[in-house]
Amino acid sequence: MSADTAMGKGSTWVAMSSVRSFEVGDVGAVADLFQRLLRKTGEPASEDLKAYLRSLFLDFTAGEPDIRSRVHVRADGSISGFIGVLPVEMEFEGRRVRAANCGTFACDDRDSDPFAGARLLRDVLSGPQDLSFTETSNDVSTDMWRSMRATILAPYSLEWLRILRPASFALEAAAGRLSALRLLGPLARGADAIVCRRGEKQAWSHYTPLAGKADALVDAPATDEEFASLCRQFVRQYALHPVWDQPVMETMLRHVARKALHGERVQHVVKTRTGKAIGLYLYYGKTGGIGRTVQVMAEPGQEAIVIDCLMRNAHARGLCAIRGRTQPTLLQAMMGKKCAFLHASSTIVHSRNPDLLAAMTNGRAFLNGLAGEGWTRLIGDRFG
Amino acid sequence: MSDETRDAIRTFIVDNFLFGDTSHPLPADLSLIDNDLIDSTGILELVGFLEERFAITVADADIVPANLDTIERIAGFIARKQAA
Repeated sequence: MSADTAMGKGSTWVAMSSVRSFEVGDVGAVADLFQRLLRKTGEPASEDLKAYLRSLFLDFTAGEPDIRSRVHVRADGSISGFIGVLPVEMEFEGRRVRAANCGTFACDDRDSDPFAGARLLRDVLSGPQDLSFTETSNDVSTDMWRSMRATILAPYSLEWLRILRPASFALEAAAGRLSALRLLGPLARGADAIVCRRGEKQAWSHYTPLAGKADALVDAPATDEEFASLCRQFVRQYALHPVWDQPVMETMLRHVARKALHGERVQHVVKTRTGKAIGLYLYYGKTGGIGRTVQVMAEPGQEAIVIDCLMRNAHARGLCAIRGRTQPTLLQAMMGKKCAFLHASSTIVHSRNPDLLAAMTNGRAFLNGLAGEGWTRLIGDRFG
Repeated sequence: MSDETRDAIRTFIVDNFLFGDTSHPLPADLSLIDNDLIDSTGILELVGFLEERFAITVADADIVPANLDTIERIAGFIARKQAA
């Protein structure tokens, strides 16, 4: 723990703050910060959220006691900042490396603690891990990471978006601000039916399920056990990748089982007719809505056809669009699939090891999704 | 602490937080926080600069307004660090 004392001349702040590890007694305060600063709501944090923060950032990470979430504590003992850290065991060219996944980053307003965020981030990045990363960095925290000489990974930082039904998509996008617009759903579906009948070719504006190689594959729901096993298999193709043992992976899939804000979970494996698995995907979506993909994985060279299966499935379920986060191998495979690419948040990495940095900047690392924060309930779930 | 140190700090602040605008008044006792010249992002840039330019190590606990809110305080902080 570190501490210091100061009084600002003519200022409202009194600094006698410290940074220390997140403890059970901090859960309530951190949950309130989460509600107020990240969920942007004045409602008090629920017991469900508090229990989840404890489960995720204390119980789940108990095996790595020196890579911990951190809190910034004011002089009066109140919590003014939090960085949620999930330790990730990884492998790089045959040797184990430790990573810190620094996802949830919330700091109170600058008037009360002008340097709280800076101290928290510095503290976390100076930890014992070989590398640190975040996949959902907003513009403010991106600037802070940059100041710490971290590297933004552009090929991992884009959102891909495939519009499937244009009128429904436009309606859904607008309904995010004015939900009453959803009453126009039947009208939009009618317009989509006309647009999608117009041609046989794929277009950026709409999706038409066409006969193709995907017809030769079996695209079916996967149990957590099978899905976990295949994730562990597919991830080994990357020079730098997480080492998930089966129980950890199944625990993560239990976390990911529910994302009430994003819709029903679709967890599929794509196989040849002889039963050989060539890929998998996991997304959430509801009829008429925009699906959110957590993960697409495939055997090397099979990414494009697995993406075809994903889009076909999303279309068959009545989604108006499907989106997800890019990874370099997916980005390559998405060329020609009429996707739009947008930037919403950044994947950023920090390491003092040039070999690890090179692996990440060259796209030889498996980051984001199940290796990032996508599997937690903090993204996309409702806390009752 | 020498004027050279203060000038180096002032130049860094002008270049990085004032976009090179040398007409902005920047007395040595001006609060960088109260005048919105520096925030959590800026402080990390400043700390990186101090570590590199003055060959000092800044601990997390050192990152407080008492050490870094004015040019005068920063210069004093550097002097203490170098003397330690």
